[in-house]
Amino acid sequence: MLFTQLFINGLQTGALYALIAAGFSLIFGMTRIFHAAHGATFTIAGYIFYECYSVLHLSWPVAALAATFAASLFGVLLDRYVYAIIQRHEGSFFTVFVASFGMAIIVQNLIAMIFDRGAVTVSTPLSKSLEVMPGLYVAPIAAVVIVCAIIFFVALQWLLTKTNMGIALRALGENPTLIEVYGLTPRLLSQYVFLIGSILVVPAAILTAATSGLNPAMGNHVMLISIAATIVGGVGSLRGAAMAGLILGMAENLCLAFIDPQWSEAVTFVILFLFILFRPGGVYGRAVMS
Amino acid sequence: MIAYLQNIAVLFCINAILALTLNFIMGYAGIFSLAHAIFFGVGAYATAYIAMHASDSLLLCMAASAAISAILSMALALPALRVRGEYFVAASLGLQVIGVTIFSEWKSITGGLGGMIGIPRPKLWGYTFNDDTAFLMLALVVLGIVVGITALLVRGSFGRSLMAIRDSESAAQTYGKHVNAVKTLSVAVAAGLAGVAGSLYAFYISFINVESFVLETSILLMAMVIIGGTGTLFGPIVGAALLMSLPAALTYLPFLPPTELGSIQQIIYGLAMVLLMMFRPGGLVGGRSKEKSA
Amino acid sequence: MKKLILGLTLIQAAWALPAAAADYKIGAIFPMSGANAEYGQIFGTGVNLAIEHINADKKLSGTLSVIYEDSQALPAQGVTAATKLVNVSKVPYALSAFTGVSKAVAPVGARTKTVIVNGGAVGPDLATLGDYFWNVIPLANFEVRTMAPFLVKEKGFKRVAMVYVDDPIGQALLTDLGTEVKAAGGEMVGSFSIPTTAQQFSGIAARIRDTKPDVVYIASYGNQQVQLIKQLRDNGINQPIASYSAFSTPSVLSLPEAKGVYFTAQQLNLTRDDPLTKRVVADYKAKYNKEPGAYVVNYYNAVLTFAELASALEKAGKPVTGENLLAQRKATKTFEFVGATVSFAEDGTVKAPIQINQIVGDGTSKVVVAGK
Repeated sequence: MLFTQLFINGLQTGALYALIAAGFSLIFGMTRIFHAAHGATFTIAGYIFYECYSVLHLSWPVAALAATFAASLFGVLLDRYVYAIIQRHEGSFFTVFVASFGMAIIVQNLIAMIFDRGAVTVSTPLSKSLEVMPGLYVAPIAAVVIVCAIIFFVALQWLLTKTNMGIALRALGENPTLIEVYGLTPRLLSQYVFLIGSILVVPAAILTAATSGLNPAMGNHVMLISIAATIVGGVGSLRGAAMAGLILGMAENLCLAFIDPQWSEAVTFVILFLFILFRPGGVYGRAVMS
Repeated sequence: MIAYLQNIAVLFCINAILALTLNFIMGYAGIFSLAHAIFFGVGAYATAYIAMHASDSLLLCMAASAAISAILSMALALPALRVRGEYFVAASLGLQVIGVTIFSEWKSITGGLGGMIGIPRPKLWGYTFNDDTAFLMLALVVLGIVVGITALLVRGSFGRSLMAIRDSESAAQTYGKHVNAVKTLSVAVAAGLAGVAGSLYAFYISFINVESFVLETSILLMAMVIIGGTGTLFGPIVGAALLMSLPAALTYLPFLPPTELGSIQQIIYGLAMVLLMMFRPGGLVGGRSKEKSA
Repeated sequence: MKKLILGLTLIQAAWALPAAAADYKIGAIFPMSGANAEYGQIFGTGVNLAIEHINADKKLSGTLSVIYEDSQALPAQGVTAATKLVNVSKVPYALSAFTGVSKAVAPVGARTKTVIVNGGAVGPDLATLGDYFWNVIPLANFEVRTMAPFLVKEKGFKRVAMVYVDDPIGQALLTDLGTEVKAAGGEMVGSFSIPTTAQQFSGIAARIRDTKPDVVYIASYGNQQVQLIKQLRDNGINQPIASYSAFSTPSVLSLPEAKGVYFTAQQLNLTRDDPLTKRVVADYKAKYNKEPGAYVVNYYNAVLTFAELASALEKAGKPVTGENLLAQRKATKTFEFVGATVSFAEDGTVKAPIQINQIVGDGTSKVVVAGK
């Protein structure tokens, strides 16, 4: 029964990780920007939700909307006013990464100043688990997480395959110069990518706020997962990143049946190292040599 | 007063060595590492262990620290450098996380979360560096040696190979440069010297624990290099000096609430990183161009 | 002529007098910025109140003031802060906090013969840091000796599971709890170590449930313990929870899921009928609108200790240096602290009665077993 319990926990964690990783992979795959501030977007979404729901006592749809607005605004503005400028004159991987990283540091500390460094949680009765079977405790929120993830992925899939916008976005990832030939603007499309990528973290942030709680430094962990999942899943493959996020979440929980909790974070990275060593292309990606 | 200034000066030397070595791989080789604090830590723990259990000889401890850090870095570099830059970032991040876990758990060697206390001062040819002034001299000498080694490597053909690889790997390979060997060697040198800084640190503070080698430290070092200027010899030293004096400087601004000083400090260097990358990617010393030969 | 000489002598004497009334400075190496600044703030309120009282009572011939230096709760910064206090401000006595910082600054104190006093950390390794390092807070292993018999014998919780952070405190508590529980007739059914950065505990909860304990003992601190309590409760752990004095922070006391949780703490009988206790409680309440917690009181006591020793040294005509403070402490049998009477052991730790509190759920706790 322990194993089943850990499996369910893993599904919940994995679903959240899949959402986070998909957002990052979308941005990285399509704009080639190493958006190290993705964790900051997550933190902002989580805290805005907390502020609206737990502090100002607004209804949760309103709070969720506010969080979505804040997250997407952050992502889009960052692209428009920071990344765009850098890309205009130089745009090397290093410069963009560092700027992004600097942004993440600023956000982390601003949030720490405004909201206090302690952990905050959004209290909801949904997080209290019920004994569905002897020894198996599942909280309603686990179901919410999994359903949410499925809905968002289905929506994303539809967006990318069935809409013109989506097809243009995928083209952006393949060949940015070519789409200019077709009369589209990479800059504008890039902003849409950031919009979508940032929206993807919002449900994950809200649900994390309700389960493990928020703290200003959580962006680091989000980045760890995003990067690891993107590589394990294969750079450029959205499906890969989502799958990898799920795998990493499951691994992190299932390993608790065998080893001490100290090492569960390290498990994520052992998996990452193994992939880098033996299959750098990831599960779905193309093989990449520099 | 003197002791206070000496204290700051020694810590500055240590940070400057770390920034210089990180710049060597980031600025000159174009390899992005988030795990520099781990090599620092490995050096510190190696020295602490040897000094407390075997011998407090300066040369032995430093050599061991350098060697162990260098070998560890090669374990990271060999697989990760085969693939693109982003992968090394991820792998180094992974090493940073796993490194912290190992430092916290391997109690017999690192003392676990409690750390190691009571590290003796080093002995060189019969003289023990108990006096703080003497230790400062030692730190300055080591810093000088590191600057020397860095300058030598960068200005020689090794440095040119490195910069060629940074600018275009495929071109460099066409010209017969052994890309992987050069990259791995540069990582090893940088890590080894970071280990030496760790050795100094362990000897000086006499107490080390994992708290000094976490991700925040790696990030701070990265900020020093970037703000000072990558790809320049003195940029990292400027960066180290600036970022170390920032906390003290902030205390002189009375309108800042003291509880928020740490956050404000981090915001300042985060902001500096963003603005510099937007307008002056070479950092304060480097200027507009990121690709400046030393 | 005689009158002139007399006049001059008197003037000279008058100039000489103020020099005898020296102003005193003590240092405080607290996290004033960074993640643990909350603690620095809390400790500071205790220190400031003590200074206010001491100066108002004119306990010393001069005014007492404190110089705060920021350690950021990190060892290297702590050493810089300590060096500054000792070499620039020339304090004979400094307050410290956090185990890592304390272990790093203790050698500075030992080398310069400056007394360093801890009032917040409870790691048992703090007893081994030398003559010049004192602790006014009983260290964690004492607390377990009171909690274990209470849980096993009085409450009948024979099966004990433990979650702990794998640092010296956690390890010491694990060992001591194991011994004490066994001695009381109980059984340690499981012990699970967690990393300091862990935030997700559903897996741990599952494993704890598996061991079917009667009570769960937690050895963690800061943010993490709040998350731990909440998530254990969320994940089907309805058994009573117990811990040590780290639970006496506001964030734990006000957590709804923490209702009913037991924790040990240094005896803090705030209802004690002595003038010192009453005054501190009243003044603190008037300023901050709540009762002073254990940390506040400990640092108040630490400053009070300095005042007691310094005033005794003044009366004996000795200069107030670290060395003399140490000698005076060894010569003093008991100290009247807020809420209890204590005495210092040879190794600089304090013997104080331990009490067991239970969290009520409205941000306060009540004493269920008074300290002896």
